[in-house]
Amino acid sequence: MKKFLKYLLALIAFLFIGYHSVYFKKLTEVSARTSTEKINISQYTRTFWNKKLLPSLNKALSLNELIALLKTDPEKAFSTYGKALGIGDLKYFMVKGVGKVMKVNENEVALLSTATTENLVVNIATEYVYGNAVRDASGLINTNDFDNTSDFNEISAGINQIIRDEVLPDFKKRIASGDRIEFVGAIELNKKFLNLSDIEITPVQLKILK
Amino acid sequence: MDLKLYKPFFIKFQSLIALFILCLLISLISDKFLTVSNGWNVMRQISVNICISVGMTLVVLTAGIDLSVGSVLALCGALTAGLLKNGLAFPQADLFIGFTILGAMLVGVLAGTFLGAFNGWAITKFKVPAFIATLAMLTIARGLTLLYTQGFPISGLGDDFAYLGTGWFLSIPVPVWISGIVVLLAVILTTKTRLGRYIYAIGGNESASRLSGINISRVKIIVYAISGALAAIGGLIVTSRLDSAQPNAGSSYELDSIAAVVIGGTSLSGGKGTILGTVLGAIIIGVLNNGLVLLNVSPFWQQVVKGAVILLAVIIDKSNSKND
Repeated sequence: MKKFLKYLLALIAFLFIGYHSVYFKKLTEVSARTSTEKINISQYTRTFWNKKLLPSLNKALSLNELIALLKTDPEKAFSTYGKALGIGDLKYFMVKGVGKVMKVNENEVALLSTATTENLVVNIATEYVYGNAVRDASGLINTNDFDNTSDFNEISAGINQIIRDEVLPDFKKRIASGDRIEFVGAIELNKKFLNLSDIEITPVQLKILK
Repeated sequence: MDLKLYKPFFIKFQSLIALFILCLLISLISDKFLTVSNGWNVMRQISVNICISVGMTLVVLTAGIDLSVGSVLALCGALTAGLLKNGLAFPQADLFIGFTILGAMLVGVLAGTFLGAFNGWAITKFKVPAFIATLAMLTIARGLTLLYTQGFPISGLGDDFAYLGTGWFLSIPVPVWISGIVVLLAVILTTKTRLGRYIYAIGGNESASRLSGINISRVKIIVYAISGALAAIGGLIVTSRLDSAQPNAGSSYELDSIAAVVIGGTSLSGGKGTILGTVLGAIIIGVLNNGLVLLNVSPFWQQVVKGAVILLAVIIDKSNSKND
């Protein structure tokens, strides 16, 4: 009797755990649902660019304001305006400003950002546009929306491709030293090793003012 | 004052004294060390190593070694994440088996137990040296992880699963609870059960244990199975903390766990050591890692320092054994 009770309890425990461990469904139903839920990366990137990123650019922080704050209170600058998806010292900022083109190089445009007290020169990347600066600085994408990091990184690759295909070609053709330009773009700064003399902007919007 | 009188005291509490000195030194140099948040941070970080090291202690007590724990951790973490995320599909039967968090975790721990038991079986059945058998499993499990994940992380496992690695319960991080329960059970196992006494006996003198009627193979298989299961639990915590199963997770974790065991005073020749000693060893390693990071020591130097500490621990242990 005691043995029977032992086996009975073990069976009940096994069934209880089993019931709460697995569930069964028709594969066709599940496949149909996941295919509609699966994110189409190129479509997602395009929608993100048009409907989220571009409308949000008017909220970008003035580069001059950011620089001034970084010089006086870097802690506040990073905690208030810095964005990052992971932990660490690297933070991303979406900045805007106006500046005078000092030099047009093969890989970037050196720009004298106006209205800064110390004549800050920044570079705008025109050839090698890579990394996650724009995606992360936007603060508009949630990692949990993606099944895997590969898809998530594809978004950055897609954004960078749009910049290379749509933002830069015309700008690169027309730009010349001495031009005044208006820019919005993303920058990456290291909180621990802050270097304001080597800022590179990944552009999202560029306008030559002449 | 005759210092010789205090020698047994110093030998008995050498790990504790080392930890105290380490904490004192780091807190003198860095004001961020002795803070509550950093304390919990260290505890959360070492909870995985404690789980693995407890299993490793049992193995080392039998005069064995388990080099496969890091890879087993990765495989079990990947398996759990994969089942939780994708379930199992059987196209011919038009059947999909989905797994709840409980189900996926159970499969992960069972897989770890099985791999550990397989190690034990290979070691006892074919008399393969533990070093070789578990080294082979290290490679097999890592390969299986890469095959299963196709080299990509499996992420987006949900907030409920993330609670295991990042959540708090009664103001204490959940991983600390898990490692605490593991330690408690292991202490009971080693001090209050027959299996515990067998483990020490086998490590102390295997031939004598066999002659006294202990089923050596059975005990060893159980010990390696426990080590595998605890590596799997470590895998669950790591996967949950990162919210993703990384194919290269757990690399060199076996070295950290062996270091914790050795620093904790467990003899690599078996039969001597305690679970609490290992916990202390894991805390020393954790505090050392944390301190070196807070002191901005280069990661390359961190490895050198860690290696030197392990070497020092073994030298001290050897010299103590000689004096006994």
